Formats: sequence, C-alpha cells, structure tokens
Amino acid sequence: MNQNKSYFLQSFAIFALSIVAFLVFKSFLPKKIFAETTANSKNVVIDSLLLEAVEEDSTAEEGDTLSNQPISFTAVDGITFPDETFSDYKGFQHLVQFYEKLYQLETTQQGNVRIAYFGDSMTDGDMIVQDFRTNFQNQFGGQGVGFVNITSESAASRNSIKHEFSGNWKTQSYLNVKNPRSPFGVNGHVFFANDTAHVEWVKYQASKLKNLSELYNPTLFYGKSANKSGKIALKVGNDTICKKLTPNKLVNTLVIGNTTKNLKVDFVKADSIPIYGFNFDDGKGVHVDNFSNRGNSGLPISTFNTEVMRQFQEKLGYDLIVLHYGTNVLNYGSLNYTWYEKRMKNVVNHLKECFPGVAILVISTADKATKYDLEMKTDSAVVPLTLAQKKYAVQAEAAYVNLYTLMGGDGSMVKWVEEVPAAANKDYTHFNYRGAKRISSMIYNQIYSGYEQFKKLRANRKVVKAAVKKDSTTVKKDSIHVD
Amino acid sequence: MQDWFTQNIAALFTDITAETVTNWFVFNPKEPILFNTALFLGLFLVFYSIYIALKNTFYPRLVYVILFSLFFYYKSSGIFFLLLVGSSVVDYNLGNLVHRTQSVVNKKLCLAFSVVLNLGFLGYFKYTNFIIDTYNSATGADFAFQKIILPVGISFYTFQSISYIIEIYRKEIEPTKNYVDYLFFVSFFPQLVAGPIVRAKDFLPQIYQKLNVTKDDINRAFLLIIGGLIKKTVISDYISINFVDRVFDAPSSYTAFENLMASYGYAIQIYCDFSGYSDMAIGVALLLGFKLPTNFRTPYQSASITEFWRRWHISLSTWLKDFLYISVGGNRHGSFAGFLFPALFFFGLIVWGITYAPTSNIPLLIAVAATAVFSLTFLLSKEKERTMFTNVNLMTTMLLGGLWHGASLRFIIWGALHGLALAVHKIFMEFFPPKAEAKRSFFGGIWTVLSVIATFHFVAFCWIFFRAKDFDTALQVINNIGNVTFDLQQWLVIAEGYKNVFLLMAIGFVWHFLPEKMVERMQRVFKALPIIGKAIILGLVYWLVYAMASAGPQPFIYFQF
Repeated sequence: MNQNKSYFLQSFAIFALSIVAFLVFKSFLPKKIFAETTANSKNVVIDSLLLEAVEEDSTAEEGDTLSNQPISFTAVDGITFPDETFSDYKGFQHLVQFYEKLYQLETTQQGNVRIAYFGDSMTDGDMIVQDFRTNFQNQFGGQGVGFVNITSESAASRNSIKHEFSGNWKTQSYLNVKNPRSPFGVNGHVFFANDTAHVEWVKYQASKLKNLSELYNPTLFYGKSANKSGKIALKVGNDTICKKLTPNKLVNTLVIGNTTKNLKVDFVKADSIPIYGFNFDDGKGVHVDNFSNRGNSGLPISTFNTEVMRQFQEKLGYDLIVLHYGTNVLNYGSLNYTWYEKRMKNVVNHLKECFPGVAILVISTADKATKYDLEMKTDSAVVPLTLAQKKYAVQAEAAYVNLYTLMGGDGSMVKWVEEVPAAANKDYTHFNYRGAKRISSMIYNQIYSGYEQFKKLRANRKVVKAAVKKDSTTVKKDSIHVD
Repeated sequence: MQDWFTQNIAALFTDITAETVTNWFVFNPKEPILFNTALFLGLFLVFYSIYIALKNTFYPRLVYVILFSLFFYYKSSGIFFLLLVGSSVVDYNLGNLVHRTQSVVNKKLCLAFSVVLNLGFLGYFKYTNFIIDTYNSATGADFAFQKIILPVGISFYTFQSISYIIEIYRKEIEPTKNYVDYLFFVSFFPQLVAGPIVRAKDFLPQIYQKLNVTKDDINRAFLLIIGGLIKKTVISDYISINFVDRVFDAPSSYTAFENLMASYGYAIQIYCDFSGYSDMAIGVALLLGFKLPTNFRTPYQSASITEFWRRWHISLSTWLKDFLYISVGGNRHGSFAGFLFPALFFFGLIVWGITYAPTSNIPLLIAVAATAVFSLTFLLSKEKERTMFTNVNLMTTMLLGGLWHGASLRFIIWGALHGLALAVHKIFMEFFPPKAEAKRSFFGGIWTVLSVIATFHFVAFCWIFFRAKDFDTALQVINNIGNVTFDLQQWLVIAEGYKNVFLLMAIGFVWHFLPEKMVERMQRVFKALPIIGKAIILGLVYWLVYAMASAGPQPFIYFQF
C-alpha cells in the first residue's frame, strides 16, 4: 500500500520537475533547431543576378512618393481609363492596344494575339499558364500550346504537352550564365547540339486537352552560326526526311511539316548552332507562350539582346508580356525592396525596347506563409514586395494584378493549404493543379473586366476613327508558316 | 536568479489573459488536443495530481477520469463527444441484451443488429462521400457530396464497442457491472482518438483490480513517452513537412532520387508518427495504472510480410483476425461474405483492364496477372480447398482493413497488395518450409538480411499508394523511381541540400534497427537514474520538441543536373 503511493508520487514528481527543467532549458538553449539556411551549391537553382543585386544595394533608401497621389492616364487611341489610386492600381490603360487587338479578333475574327508569360517555379510544368491559355482560347479562339523549349527542368511535370529530350544537349540559361556562346532566345535559353558522337533529339507529343490536341504547324527557331552543314532529321510515316539548317540571320525559322500529334526531331552535325525551341500554333486566335524558369526573380530578362528580340518579335508578334515573379525574392531577410523595384523598372523598359508596342502586365507575388512562433502566417516580406512590384508597374507604365489580395490577403496561403481538398502545397508557396486553376481565373478575370470596360470606353469615344496602328507584325508572322 | 525568474516563470503567468484561459477549455477545430502539446502537458499535470488523490476510491475516480476523457474528446472533436456518449448508452444496453437473451437465434439477431448499427455509424461518417463518388463515376450520375465531418477516433472506439459485444456473445467476458464502468472503458482518453484498439477482455478486468503502479511501470511509461515524443514530433513531423509532403504534392517536379528518398522517408515517417503516438498513449495509460497492449514491435525488422503484420499496428491486426477473418470463416471454411469482396475486387480489376485495353495493354496484363497469381496461391497448394478458404478470407480481411484506413481506391489497392503478398508468402512457405537450424548458419543469416530488405521494400512500395493523394500521383512516383540511375555525385548534392531531413531519416532508421540488447542497455541506464535525472531528460525532450516545432519549414530547393 505504502509502496504504491510512493510510486504514483514519484511519477508525479518526475512530471512536475520535468516541466521546471524544460523552462530552465528553454531560457538558455536556442529557440530553434535547424536554422533555415539556403543551400548554396552549383546544382541548386538560384538566380545569379538576384544574388548580385541583393549584395549590391539592399541598403538603398526607400523613397515613397507614389502612395498619396491619384494616378491619371493619357489617352491612347482616344481612350482614357478613369483615374486610379495607388492602393487600387490596376493600370488597364496600359493594355489598351492589347485590348484593341482582342477586340478586332472578337468582332472580325481576324488576326491573332500573342502573349508571353514569364514566370518562376509557380508556373513550372505549365501550371497557371495552361489554364490562363485555355481561358483565352475558349473565349477568343486559337489552338496550340505555343513556344516550347528544347530541354526543360520541368518537362516531366508538364501536362499540356509531352516533352522528352536526349541527355546530351548543352543548355545555357539566363538564370546563371551571363555571357552565353550565342544570344539567348525569347525563352531565356539557348541550346546546343555539340555532342558529335551522339545525335541530340527532342520529342513532343500533343496532349488530349482541349485546343492542344495537335502540334499545330511545328516550326523550329534557331539562331546565327558559321556552321552551314547542320541538318535536322525526322520521320514522316516510314521515311526519314532531312532538312538543312540555314543559320544566316539572328533568328531563323524552319517549318517542320504539317500539323501532327507526334514529333521527334534529330539534330545532325548541328554543333554551335544556337537552337531556341519549337513553336506550335494554328495561326489564328490567342496563343500563350509559357517561359517559366525555376528560381527566376525576373532580373535575368535584362540580359536580353535587343536585336535578337526584335527579330523574335517580327516572327511571333507579342502583344502582351506577363511578368509573374516574386517567390524567389522573398527569402532575403530585408523588407526593403527598392533595389528590386529599380531593377525591374529597367527590365520593363528593356522589354519595351526589345518588343516595340508590347503591353506589359505585372503580377505580384502570391501569398506565402512562414512559421512565426509555432504558427504559420503570411511572410512579413510579402506585402512590402507586392508594393515594390506595384511601384515599378506604375512607374514603367505597366498594368498590375495584386495576386496577394486576390487570393484573400493576410493568411490566405495557410487557408489554401489547409482547405479540403487542398489548393496549395505544403511548402506554403506553390499551388497544386486545383489552386493554379483558381489563380489563373483570378488573373484572367481581372484582365477581362478591364476588357469590358475598354469596350464601353471605345463605344463612347469622341474620335470618330481612331488611328489603329496597322500591325505590321501580324502580316509578317504568317511568314513562319510559309517560310 | 531573480531576473531569470521574472523573465521565464513569472512571464508564464503574467501573459495569461481571459482569452488564453478560454482557449484552454474551448474546442478549436484548428488545434485539436494532442499528447505532444504544451496544453496537454499542463492539463495532465493538474489532472494527475487529483487522480493520485482519488486513487483509493472507485466510483469517484472512474467518474473523474470519464469527465476528463469527455473533455479531452471535446477538445479534439467538439460537439461529437455527445455521439460518443450516445453510442455508448446504446452499446451498453445491447451488450446486456446479448448477454441476457437465451435463444440462440435472438442472440444472433441482437448481435447482428448492434454490429450493423455500429458499422452503420462508422460507414455514414466515413464512407458516404466515397460511395457517392463511386456511384457517380460508375453511372455518370451527379449526386452532390455531403458535408460530413469525420469525428476523431470514431474508427477506434467503434471497433472497441464491437469487440465488447462480440466478446459477450462469445462468452469471453461478462458485461460490465454498470454503465459507468462501460463508459470508462470506451472513453478512456489515452487510447481514445488514435488507438491502440483495446479489447474489452484485456481492459475490463483492470478496472476492477486494485489500482497499482510499480517502479518498473513508471520507468517503462516515461521511456515510452520520451521515445514517442521524439518519433512523432522530431522525426515524423519534420521530415513530412520539409520533404515528403512536397515530393508527394508534385512528384514530377523533383528528381528521381528525391522521389526514391521521399518513399523511404514516408516509410519511416508513418511508422514514427503512428507508433510514436501509440507509445505515448500506452505510456500515459501506464502512468494511470492501466496496461494497454503493445502496438508496434519494430515492424521493418520483419523477414516476411506475414511477420510484418504480426509487428505492425498489432491491436488492429489482431482485432481484424479475431472479428473479421474468423467471422468470415478463417482458415477452415468459406462464406458468402468471405468470397464477395475478393470476387468484387478481381472482377473490378479485370473490368478496369478491359476499359483501358484500347489505349494500353498494361492494365489488363496487370489485372490478369494479379488474378492468376492469386489463384495459383491455392491451386498449387496440396490442400487446395482449405488454402483457398484461408487466402480468400485473408484477402477479404486485407481489403476491408485497407478500406478502414480511409475511404479511397488507393487504400483498397494497398490492402489488396498486402493480401496478395500474404497469400504468396503462404504458398512459398509450403514449398520451402523454413528450417530451424538454418537460421543460425552464415548463409541463413544472409538470407534473413535479404528477406528483411525485400520485405521492407515491398512495404515501402505499398505505402506509396497509401500516401499519394490519388492513383495518378502514385503511378508518377513509381515511374520516377524507375528512372533512378546510380549517380553518387548527384545523390551527395541532394543530401547536402536536405541534410537535416536526411539526417533525421537516418536517425529514424538506425534507431529502428538497433539490436535489442543495445536498446535494453540504454533503458537500464535511464532506469538507474535518480528522479531528478529522469526529470532533466524528460525536460530536455520537451525542449527538443519545442525547438523542432519552432523551426520554420525549410525553404524549397530545386536541383538541376
């Protein structure tokens, strides 16, 4: 009996003392095990320009001149959107020419509209962009997946096209190469078939998705080189067809054949010829190219070669460039994003130089959660970054989508991860297919609401006949299909 | 010293507001109470002091524990604690009815009624949407899903209630003397929400025994709690959020090697999570003077799949064996129910194969092969009929066991794979019976090691279906693992990127495979420590749990090679 009692009490004593011991330990032992360190090795995808920029001037003064003034616009083609405040800035005004192209497409069924969607791992595997593309193609017509790389780190996770390639391609990416052997293509990459012992190949297979069920008018894009003996070989039926590469201009195109479901292309003796990728589109309606790149901050776009891009623009005719970045800019400790704002403003200006007449849309970072005192909450860097993104959008005359507020603002990522079925992944950063679909609709709906506003303004405008610029690129664009 | 006290101890009390106190006692669906939370630690300390004061009483102590258990259940599942109380009233009376009824027919009817009722509740909460989904996809109908919240632990306490009634029916136990005793058994908080599934015949006698804890019990209890805390919160939680979940969320965004490591990671994660929580439950019960059955005995050390099921979630597998496997015929005879589920399963498998035949032959090939292998496991046997009954009944058990884990096709596949493997192992044993003396020889040793490795890999493979969010994801993971090539350089780089995760995984596996003697020696050291020494170790473990929980998710990394 007595013995029993003592053991219960002993166990109670251990418990009580253990709590005291814990409080003592807590007061002097570290608060966290495994401090978060970003692994740094040559194999981890990190944007080298971003690292440099952070190093250089993360201490710049934060100037705040925008937030209190109303933002007013000057007319484009006789259309002026009403004034906006900084806090609700959307900048539809800067999309007027893009809207006009959409309008022509919708009313006359003529012409085509092309969108370049630049992004980071959020749009990896065509996430978000494939739904964005579907939204446009369902509304305005158009078929085809657009421009596709030769090699891609995320080919396996892509649903909108099956993409395989041989392992011996030499790939250079604007993410970590400053001076490529040949200029980067519009996708920020350049690929070389330099392995003379083995043939490099690339293989595409159309998906079963709506509007993407064929590889429409497959066209190869490649650059300039002194090597005039390069060839490509592909099988059509039982025959192998060879086509010569003529790398004379900065950007050359080669139509591979007719619309098909499968395509495998071998590159023969093509060493040192810069290869950029393949374009698949049906030549009418809307086409969206996904240029996603894990680890990208957006800054590498500043390395684009203007001459090369203008030739791409002649052939592809972009009307809108979407810049969807931010995830990779969140993790650097400082909440002062002046450096990013300044550099991205230059990126937008550079893009306008490279692609004359193009409209730019900036999409802010989505919400991202981090653990603060045992609880997952919106990362303190998210709001400052969305503001910096908005500032550079305003200054560089670009439209702007605040994805963070569209998602639901503070704490929304935690909700997206925890809801059943989940819409985002457990890294509290990336969306899954379900969430990506919702995100793309949010972006599309905002663009579309601006378009409806545009149509009303257009109907009421004073100018009887607006000087709609004849789009020279549209006409030329067709040349890639006959070339 | 004074400063230290104000900063660390006084702050504990000055920070308390009315709101925090309310939070302690009101159910918050976002933060269900778990053994590894500070809140439970605090509540338990208070609860335990009064429990000790009441230890020489009977009913006051029982009622006191029941109230705490119901509060505990309320903190994990909200208003559903009423469901627990309601179903216990019904089951208690049904138990008495089964006991009192004289005629065999009526007894059977009562039993059938109560089993159907209990399973009906479980089925409603757990399988309604699964049935709607299956019906919709099979017929093209479009019934809306119901908004049903699954009450925490319903699978566990339903099984305990069923065991109580069946054991009364089988005359293995007498009904409890009154309702309070029964409610104590069903609601006992240590095992209430996540097992182990306690059998009435093991537990009820303990209620009526004199309450007693020995020195050895206390030592075992603290060792279980320490081990459980480390397994659950340090190893399992960290590797799941920082690695395994990410890869299973988007397998094709990761390299082949990361996919492989995520599968290994999940194998150790699920073991640490489940066994860790079970161990804590057993430890807490032991502190209160109740002995719950062991639930896991280092299962990955098993040299065959049959052995694995004797060491993994033992309380569930014995429950299934005694009440499902035996009920459908065991290894003696067949029954309609015993044949129904395997027949449905293989029929469904072949239909699935045929529907996909126009696009790919592989599904049909798999379906035919699986059916053929399963048939061969008894056709090749010397005692064809008896082996057929055994294997079919085993398959039924594993299929339903799979479904018990969750309402999804993936769990059925998982169960079927295990059922098939058990049958294959049986026929293998018939052809190559193990020799007792072979075990000790050198080649016998190598054979055992190879068997352990093979068994572990089979189990880890099946876990992929258990973990992946849908069938496609599971196939993606398997496909990616198929692309693993030996590239040490690349593996080292990846290991460097995930060094914390891989370190914890390694600790988990090494711990799992430590020789028993070594574990015993470590336990002896702990047992020999004075009270204060034990308290310091326990306090250190709390700190470990706290510091792990504070560690934010590791930022995502992508590799390129």
